[in-house]
Amino acid sequence: MAYMSMGEAHRRITDYLNRFCDAVSSQDGASFKSLFALSSNSHSLLSLADALNLFQDANRLIKQSDNYSHFADILLPLFRSIQNYRQSNLLEAYNAFEKTANAFIQEFRNWESAWALEALYVIVYEIRVLAEKADKELASNGKSPEKLKGAGSVLMKVFGTLAGKGSKRVGALYVTCQLFKIYFKLGTVHLCRSVIRSIETARIFDFEEFPKRDKVTYMYYTGRLEVFNENFPAADYKLSYALTHCNPQSEANIRMILKHLIPVKLSIGILPKHSLLEKYNLLEYSKIVQALRRGDLRLLRSALNDYEDRFLRSGVYLVLEKLELQVYQRLIKKIYIIQKQKDPSKAHQVKLEVIVKALKWLEIDMDVDEVECIMAILIYKNLVKGYFAHKSKVAVLSKQDPFPKLNGKPVNS
Amino acid sequence: MNFSPFGVREMANEGSHTETLTHVEPHLFENRHVDASQQQQSSAYAPTTTGSEAVSWTVHSSTGNGVYSNPVYQYDQHPQPPGRSLQDGQNVSSVAGNSSNLGTANVPQDYNAYASYPSSSNPYGYGSVGYSSYYNNYQQQPNHTYSQPVGAYQNTGAPYQPISSFQNTGSYAGSASYSSTYYNPADYQTTGGYQNNSGYATWNNGSYSSYSSHPYSTYAPDSSGSYSSGAAATSVQYQEQYKQWADYYNQTEVSCAPGTENLSVTSSSTLGCPIPAVTSGYANPSSQPPQAYTAYWRQESSSTAVPSFQPAAVNSGDHDGYWKHGAQSSQIQQTNPIQPNYQQSPLDLKSSYDKFQDQQKTVSSQGTNLYLPPPPPPPPHPPQQVNPTPIQSASTLDTKRVSPLQIPTNPRIASNVTFGQPKTDKDSSTTSSAPKPAYIAVSLPKPTEKVSSDDAANSILKPGMFPKSLRGYVVRALARCKDDKQMAACQAVMKEMITKATADGTLNTRNWDMEPLFPMPDEDVVNKDGSLSSTYDSLTTKHKKSPRRSKSRWEPLPEERPFDPVLISNNAIKYSGWVHNEKDRKVAVENKESKEDGLRNTKFSPLLQRTSSKAPQRPFKKQRLTYAVITSENGDASSDSDKEQSLTAYYSAAMAFSDSPEERKRRENRSKRFDLGQGHRAESNHFRKKNAGAGNLYNRRASALVLSKSFEDGVSKAVEDIDWDALTVKGTCQEIEKRYLRLTSAPDPATVRPEEVLEKALLMVQNSQKNYLYKCDQLKSIRQDITVQRIRNQLTVKVYETHARFALESGDLPEYNQCQSQLTTLYAEGIGGSYMEFSAYNLLCVILHSNNNRDLLSSMARLSQEAKKDEAVKHALAVRAAVTSGNYVAFFKLYKAGPNLNTCLMDLYVEKMRYKAVSCMCRSYRPTVPVSYISQVLGFSTGTPTNGSREEKDMDALEECLEWLKAHGASLITDNNGDMLLDTKVSSTSLFVPEPEDAVAHGDANLAVNDFLARAPL
Repeated sequence: MAYMSMGEAHRRITDYLNRFCDAVSSQDGASFKSLFALSSNSHSLLSLADALNLFQDANRLIKQSDNYSHFADILLPLFRSIQNYRQSNLLEAYNAFEKTANAFIQEFRNWESAWALEALYVIVYEIRVLAEKADKELASNGKSPEKLKGAGSVLMKVFGTLAGKGSKRVGALYVTCQLFKIYFKLGTVHLCRSVIRSIETARIFDFEEFPKRDKVTYMYYTGRLEVFNENFPAADYKLSYALTHCNPQSEANIRMILKHLIPVKLSIGILPKHSLLEKYNLLEYSKIVQALRRGDLRLLRSALNDYEDRFLRSGVYLVLEKLELQVYQRLIKKIYIIQKQKDPSKAHQVKLEVIVKALKWLEIDMDVDEVECIMAILIYKNLVKGYFAHKSKVAVLSKQDPFPKLNGKPVNS
Repeated sequence: MNFSPFGVREMANEGSHTETLTHVEPHLFENRHVDASQQQQSSAYAPTTTGSEAVSWTVHSSTGNGVYSNPVYQYDQHPQPPGRSLQDGQNVSSVAGNSSNLGTANVPQDYNAYASYPSSSNPYGYGSVGYSSYYNNYQQQPNHTYSQPVGAYQNTGAPYQPISSFQNTGSYAGSASYSSTYYNPADYQTTGGYQNNSGYATWNNGSYSSYSSHPYSTYAPDSSGSYSSGAAATSVQYQEQYKQWADYYNQTEVSCAPGTENLSVTSSSTLGCPIPAVTSGYANPSSQPPQAYTAYWRQESSSTAVPSFQPAAVNSGDHDGYWKHGAQSSQIQQTNPIQPNYQQSPLDLKSSYDKFQDQQKTVSSQGTNLYLPPPPPPPPHPPQQVNPTPIQSASTLDTKRVSPLQIPTNPRIASNVTFGQPKTDKDSSTTSSAPKPAYIAVSLPKPTEKVSSDDAANSILKPGMFPKSLRGYVVRALARCKDDKQMAACQAVMKEMITKATADGTLNTRNWDMEPLFPMPDEDVVNKDGSLSSTYDSLTTKHKKSPRRSKSRWEPLPEERPFDPVLISNNAIKYSGWVHNEKDRKVAVENKESKEDGLRNTKFSPLLQRTSSKAPQRPFKKQRLTYAVITSENGDASSDSDKEQSLTAYYSAAMAFSDSPEERKRRENRSKRFDLGQGHRAESNHFRKKNAGAGNLYNRRASALVLSKSFEDGVSKAVEDIDWDALTVKGTCQEIEKRYLRLTSAPDPATVRPEEVLEKALLMVQNSQKNYLYKCDQLKSIRQDITVQRIRNQLTVKVYETHARFALESGDLPEYNQCQSQLTTLYAEGIGGSYMEFSAYNLLCVILHSNNNRDLLSSMARLSQEAKKDEAVKHALAVRAAVTSGNYVAFFKLYKAGPNLNTCLMDLYVEKMRYKAVSCMCRSYRPTVPVSYISQVLGFSTGTPTNGSREEKDMDALEECLEWLKAHGASLITDNNGDMLLDTKVSSTSLFVPEPEDAVAHGDANLAVNDFLARAPL
């Protein structure tokens, strides 16, 4: 590249411009979109960037021809962006690309058909990725990263142009998903609500008509939101939808879905097979599952402690912590089973001191009052059927199904 | 209708013309002054020309309207030339800029109100029409844009031409003077009307009628602001044009501007009406040989416009008769002096004007040639340029000079001059010693300038001369004013301060940033300062606003739009010019008031003096004066004048804050809103007040406007745009105890405690035995003082921590939250404190009171390993676990063992937790639970068997628990041993959460002020 001639640079630039105009005039979305794929590191864009570095007067080139000058608002910043991106000048690249995006939105509005939707997707994607990179650059310079936020507002603009009726509507979900990614990254998930409402209340467009990949992404993120809200049935539905419709080849995506779906399933009493955890490398859950199976409170606590950061970041920590009650239930059940083996007639009377002893054995230091409280809570939450006699410090279990299974229903709260 | 009578009297259109010319000149001067503020030179020029000219002009107009109309024109031209010259010089550019700004501002308004005004903005256009060639040459841009307006003007002009193009022009000039009237709307209008009557009887009638009927309503809001701005703008633009063009053009432009202003003023009520008049008048001048005159007129009027406004206002205010007499005499004098004056300083302006006029007359055919005379103006320029910084002094000097000059030159004027001289002399003596020389060179313009120059000088001094820090000081001082009266009072005080500082040379050396704000003066104090502030503001950044405003307002007028760009560019200048003009007007008004009749000249001089001495006051005075004038002259016009005044005040205020480029931007952004919103309201209010007729009202309004503007600025400004350093207060209050009062205005340093005192206050509060309400009040006032002084250090943290702890102890969660959020940022800034303690509080707060899982997760994720080992944080995390699992036993154990004030935060959750616990018990336990157990588990008893009184305590706790259970609908039974038992089966269905009777959200019923906080549902 170093010995690229001026003529070669000129040729490459005009070649790019010609492709741009040809794509527009023939409404060729597929070749059009490749012109914007900045982060694809495609050979054509890389060589264009080198040409732009060499040939400084590309702007004049654009303005000279009527064909190009019509798109000057898109092309000028796009060239700048390509150039800066090539030089790893990410902040500048983003700023220029944002201009391109805005100009493109304007242009896109004027195109009646949705032929350029693919290109819009690319732009939406690129602006998000660029913003993330620019933010990294900003942060490393000690400045406040704010570009992703800016990208969010640009995407809201894009969403606005797509959210109406017509053929462009089909692209709305893609933008929504990109917005989700930004909002989750920024920790401003409350902003998701407005887009969700717009998607879910629109009667004119059936959700099923959106592209599958968008539906999966959408369900994944809304499912995560439901996890935050501890609305487990809804979370289960959405994440399961995502899981069943997800491309089986993309294991990373499946893993991400499972990462949130497993805690939800655990909360409603459904335990995964160990092979599943192994397959998707989700072994952080294996201890928890084991604890649930064994009623091993200590194991649960140590698992939570070990992976605290990870669970906190993915937002499932509190969900997992609530599994404690199920572990207690399992523990009581084990005691009950042992008692039954010893003396079936008195098996339904579980003495408090026995439970305390079992916990002590697990190296959980709890006094009688606390254990009594736990028993009361278990009964209260219908994890154990029966009652507690305070006077005699005995939990009297129901003779019929003393430990009801959750069977997909969440613990009473 | 009022106008028409006046117009008839002044039928001597010439007189009116002269007036207008004078006005125009003042405008120029003012503009220049404004510029001068930017460029001192320009300002100096403006004053000289405007002052003397204005005075003379007004006189002339009244007396010699009929006879001297032509002379007047000549005069006007002459004065204008100086202005032009000034403009030509550095000032010119600056002036142009100012004028443009003004123009834009004005233009919009004018346009709205006055189609004619747009033309006035077009004045350029006028110039272009009449002077099309000239203008073309001069203003390239303006010409283009203006060309359209010009055309319109020409059209109108065509009909008018018959009337007497010159007269018309004169009348226009009158209108121009009106522009000046913008400042003194009434006066100008009246003058304009007079002129109109003579020249434009039809016009006046039509336009006036329309004015009175329609325009007023419209005007009231728009007109004043727009007018003033428009006039300025026009003048500015004119000035620019002038630069390019010969002086003539400048004059014409100026006149146009004034004319437009006048038109706007008169027409302000009737937007459309003014337009025709303006156009016609303009058109006439342009089309015919008279065109040259008109051009001159315009120029003069424009140049004088500001000054003329004042003079006009004075005259009008004085009396019509006076006007006539005075005008005649003055005219005579002027005429006489004019020629001599050229050489002589006092009459110089007039004389120069005369000469100019003469030249113009001769040139009128030659128009351009005459304009060439502008060279005379160039001399002024040098002085102005020289004086830029001295401008104020120079202006004052000029005024002095002028006054003396006037005295010698014009016998008649002499009296006037004498009047003016004494006052002016004083002022000038103080200020102008240095600048005088330069002015002397410019001697001719000075006379006219005197009045205007005085005003201008004052205005100039105020804005232009003041260092930025001083301006900031003024802004700060004004910002704390609560109402118009205070504003006025503050302004008066500041005037004195500034005058004093100027006198002893500390104006620029003093550290105004550090200067403590003076105590709030009585509202009765004169509002003079307001003018200063306004001028300051204007100096800073008014340009953009006005243009935009003008645009928005003017939008309807297509012609205006083309001008807008030019106007915008000029706006800054115009604004500055406006400010000056306003001041001038005020001065004029003052003069009028002081001396209604023959005193006009003297008045002017006094005004000048006043302005110099009380630059701030003048604006208000001017407004008042103008108002008075208007009222006196035109009963009907008063409303317009009021409007105009209010507008001017408004603009001036707006201008005041506009120094910095950011402010300009802001203003641009704000201007539209402003125009539509506050501006109108304020204006309308002002008008009503004005109707009341009290001069004070004007002042108040003006001050209010300033205030409102400042507030607006504050609001509109992006936070980062505000120069907080300049606004930061340094407290002087030594009182340790201070009640909290929510600030509704800028803080007064006299009531703000400095850091040392605040430390003592904090100690005092910490050791205070009084109740929480007192402490909270005290701490809030400490926080306020810290905030306004922008103290961010250990003390800040200590104060917030202290307050947060007190708030927690008293369960005042809202107050605690405020402190917590402040502390979070303070800790993030690396200012040390009890970080762990408060992150524990924060955690507890999220857990117990916000119930937001995401927040909780992020709070937990943020905790460092180190923090997790901290006792308080560990406790908080344990509480969280207990709450999420519903483990009431653990919760109340933690409740009893909470470090720091964790217990206090948990307090607020106890009720909820107990209720949950009892519900759980009722469901899980059978058949009964002893109350003693409940009491122990649910934290009623201390559970710490440490001393012999434990039994007693347990009994108390038991009682408490019993009461609580009963209150919540539990069913209790007594067993054989007499122990109370909870019947769980019965209770499980009967439990309820009682409506808290005396519950207070902050948890302490002792503090309960009934409506202190809304009841918090459990």
